[in-house]
Amino acid sequence: MGNEKIKEEAERKMNKHIKIIILQVIFLVAVAGVLYLVYPKANIEIKGTLVIFNSVNANVIIISENPDFSNPRYLDFESRKNITFDLKPGTYYWKASNNLIEGLSKEFKIESEVGMKIDVIEGDEAKLSNVGNVKLNVTRNKEGMMVGYIILEPNDSEEIENSGEYAGRQN
Amino acid sequence: MKNKLLTVNENKINRRSNYKLVMSEIKPLTLISGCNFGVLISEHKKIVPDNFLCRKFLFGIFMHPENPNKPHLLRCGNLKVFLILVLLTILILNLIILIPRADALGITPGRTTLDYEQGLEREITFSVLNNEHKNMQVLLMIQGELNDSVILFDNMIEFMPSEEAKQFKYKVKLSEKIAKEPGLHTAEIVALEIPTVSDKGTYVGATVAVVSQLHVYVACPGKCIEADLNVLDTEQNSTATFIVPVINRGKLGIGEVRAVIDIYTSLNEKITTIETDYLPLEAGKRTELSAKWQVNVPSGSYLAKVTVFYDGESKSFEKQFAVGSQMLSIESILVNNFQLGEIAKLQILVENRWNQELKSVFANLLVYNKESQVMADVKSATEDIPALAKKELIAYWDTVGVEEGEYNGKLMVKYGTKTSDRNLILKVSQNSLDITGVGYAIRPSGGKGINMTTILLVLVIILLIVNLAWFVFFRRFIGKKKETKTSKVIRA
Repeated sequence: MGNEKIKEEAERKMNKHIKIIILQVIFLVAVAGVLYLVYPKANIEIKGTLVIFNSVNANVIIISENPDFSNPRYLDFESRKNITFDLKPGTYYWKASNNLIEGLSKEFKIESEVGMKIDVIEGDEAKLSNVGNVKLNVTRNKEGMMVGYIILEPNDSEEIENSGEYAGRQN
Repeated sequence: MKNKLLTVNENKINRRSNYKLVMSEIKPLTLISGCNFGVLISEHKKIVPDNFLCRKFLFGIFMHPENPNKPHLLRCGNLKVFLILVLLTILILNLIILIPRADALGITPGRTTLDYEQGLEREITFSVLNNEHKNMQVLLMIQGELNDSVILFDNMIEFMPSEEAKQFKYKVKLSEKIAKEPGLHTAEIVALEIPTVSDKGTYVGATVAVVSQLHVYVACPGKCIEADLNVLDTEQNSTATFIVPVINRGKLGIGEVRAVIDIYTSLNEKITTIETDYLPLEAGKRTELSAKWQVNVPSGSYLAKVTVFYDGESKSFEKQFAVGSQMLSIESILVNNFQLGEIAKLQILVENRWNQELKSVFANLLVYNKESQVMADVKSATEDIPALAKKELIAYWDTVGVEEGEYNGKLMVKYGTKTSDRNLILKVSQNSLDITGVGYAIRPSGGKGINMTTILLVLVIILLIVNLAWFVFFRRFIGKKKETKTSKVIRA
């Protein structure tokens, strides 16, 4: 009799333990499910300096140049599903938010691009354009000697002599 | 249509349509659009294997053996067609000469930065860009102080028009010599477009070279910093943010770094002093100090004198900034009588809020397609806008090939080296173009919501409490059971 009682007691205890474990698992699954549903989701696409954020259920994107999100900037989706905008080259950290939850931090990099174009208008006249995404220091070299210097902002252009070598480097 | 076989005869060669001419020693010079041009050199009566099909007409010059100094015109087919084609060819050649030649070259990344480590060896990838999609040859070279530490795997690149970019690598192997010289050490990977050679064997015109820089920082033995200043939201009656990014270039960590910013007018009169927050900064790391300033001064240029204090040392620098950086505001964009497929006239009204005339102002509208590629790049003529005045900039957008739908766009009004931007949505329909400004401009604050880390932390705490309570309850339960058992044994 005594042994049976002990067995019953042990079974009851075990059942209680199992119940508590099951309840914890249910609780975790429920929390994970709720989190999955309300977790702010957004996708990012980078094309050159263009950054495109596509929102699934996020309404704000928080961007910072610092991993600790100091001095962040905020992008509102409002009624739109995507945002397209330009960013300077650099490393950026971002997370999506939907006023309930702030998502986990992610990172992307916009590479700097040094690009130059010479359009020969006629004869000695030409136009030098900065077609990259960074400010350029352009040196003009002739027979191995530096004979001139131009600073060009992105999309800027300047008339030049159609001779010599123009070397552009990031400012 | 059958081809007729003709033997060249100076009197009977003016025949139309398709011929098969058998001429002595005819040398075809070229073949353009199915028209053969040939030169009959001599001995025209001798039949030789050289023969070719005259599809529309044939034109040639031959020298009569009896009178070799006098060239004879050889032609068959339609002379008018021939003359029109000659004129067209001349016109096309002229156009080719007159069309501006464009040389373009790109390289990415523009700069790679490394912190010196003893025995550092690394392979760095870079890309050379053929922006113009043309045939070109590019020479890769290394120059600069660290040129002995960089090994380039390729020297000569050939681009086909179909190739937009090519990726290459270089290897950096830093020598220990530079460790003794703290500061910046550089090398440059130069991509030089090899210019085309003229008939005389000389290079014609300017050439382009683009540089990908390699910056290697050797940490200074003590504490040293690199700092800059960025000023955001400098609109009148708003709160401006001064951000001082600081990089610790020393070997030692900094306990506290802060900055003091003195703001001066263009007449060197001090307006105010603001202080940033205090932050620690580990060796080789970057941080941002920030300070707020209520902008209650008129629009114009101001000077910020920044002093960064770090563990008893300081570094000062100056930087100009503008209040009312939106010197030009985009007031409205008007499109009247829009018809899809025609040229749309965009009337962009801008206001100069500056107290000086702005010269050479122009508008640049970029319209992006669904793949976010620029599908239209429209520029207005340049205008001078008097101080505190409004002016309309006119730009024309050719909508041929544009489909109905909603497009993202960006309107930039450029003046000097500055730009006023506005992101736009262009709703294009058959008879209307609605342009609306987008309310998602980057703003300094506004995000709400619980941090994911906080949520996980709360979850962990809840589970911890539940398990702890369970454990305590279990222990008590066992304790009680043991007590009952012991008392039963004593009674017995």
